[in-house]
Amino acid sequence: MSRVIALPLALPAPRSSRRLARLLKGFAGVAILLLAWELSVPLVGLGPYFYPAPTHVATAFVDLMRKGILPVYFADSMLRYVAGLSIGAVLGVAGGVLIGLNRGAAMTLSPLLKFLFAIVEVAWIPIFVVWFGYGLKTIVLALVYVVFFPVLYNTLLGVRTAPQILVNALRSLGANRLQVLRYAILPAALPSIITGLRVGAGFAFRGLVFAEIIAAKTGIGYLIFEGTQTQQTARTIVGMIVMGLTWLAIDQLYLRPLERSTVQRWGMSVDAEQRR
Amino acid sequence: MPRVPIWATFAIAAVLLASWIAALAGSHRKLAPLSPLDVPRGDYSITLDFPPERFHQLRLQDAGRLVEVRGNTVYMKDMAPSAVREIAGNYWVASIARWDGR
Repeated sequence: MSRVIALPLALPAPRSSRRLARLLKGFAGVAILLLAWELSVPLVGLGPYFYPAPTHVATAFVDLMRKGILPVYFADSMLRYVAGLSIGAVLGVAGGVLIGLNRGAAMTLSPLLKFLFAIVEVAWIPIFVVWFGYGLKTIVLALVYVVFFPVLYNTLLGVRTAPQILVNALRSLGANRLQVLRYAILPAALPSIITGLRVGAGFAFRGLVFAEIIAAKTGIGYLIFEGTQTQQTARTIVGMIVMGLTWLAIDQLYLRPLERSTVQRWGMSVDAEQRR
Repeated sequence: MPRVPIWATFAIAAVLLASWIAALAGSHRKLAPLSPLDVPRGDYSITLDFPPERFHQLRLQDAGRLVEVRGNTVYMKDMAPSAVREIAGNYWVASIARWDGR
């Protein structure tokens, strides 16, 4: 009796070529958008102030680089962003652990935190300007405020959902509170903390633009605002593109790998569930 | 432990280091005709490759007293040597010369 063996018609493409194909498709989408934008400019018939072409935007980018404005604004924005994100994350994690482990602190602070969470950072910025003036302090404080709440609530969630069986096991082995925190609660809460960080990082990036528009004389947010004030709309669009690309880079190079190595790896995401 | 994307961090650090070295080299080149910068405070004319914008004027005002802007050149008074070195490190500064203050 003869046996028929079915062979696949084609082998699946290696991962690198699939990634390249995905990248090329992404670039093709951007190229089509740019071409449509460029071709639409003569059809719309408005001046560069109202509707700059991609070539105007590219010229504005080169001009901003040549004059040293964009590198300085970018560096200032990144300094504020990293400072605000770092301080907000540390405070958020500390607050989340404190409230998650202490029922008294939870009862005392919860109403206040819920009240403060409802007030957006943009409402605080004018008061921060009165207290601290224009510049670094005000912007960093606004970003700390934005990052603090998502990190805090996610940390709180992680601490409260830490498996009680692990906590009890460690306690029965004679572990003190610090050891329980270090070996059971924090590792269990880490995926939630990372999720909170990612959400906070995104909020902070948007908050950065608001804060720089109101309370700074440098930065990418200020460039976006200044461009329209000085009738250089192409510069505004350069600022917007730089913001978008920077966020993509932060997300792809730092946040997603961080999330992959924690949340997905430990089976707390949809992707990981599907792969099983 | 979460894996830190080392190559991205390394690339960013390399770009920052390269720009710092370029600024240092540029500063030495522009200050060579002025050296030694031993006067406590001096008057200088700073020339750019383009007419200075508000951004450049604000940066220069932090370094000394901006007196006049003529074409691509900014005339500054009371600049400390450290401020002159710092301004010379900017790649948008084409040249720096002493100015008699008149």
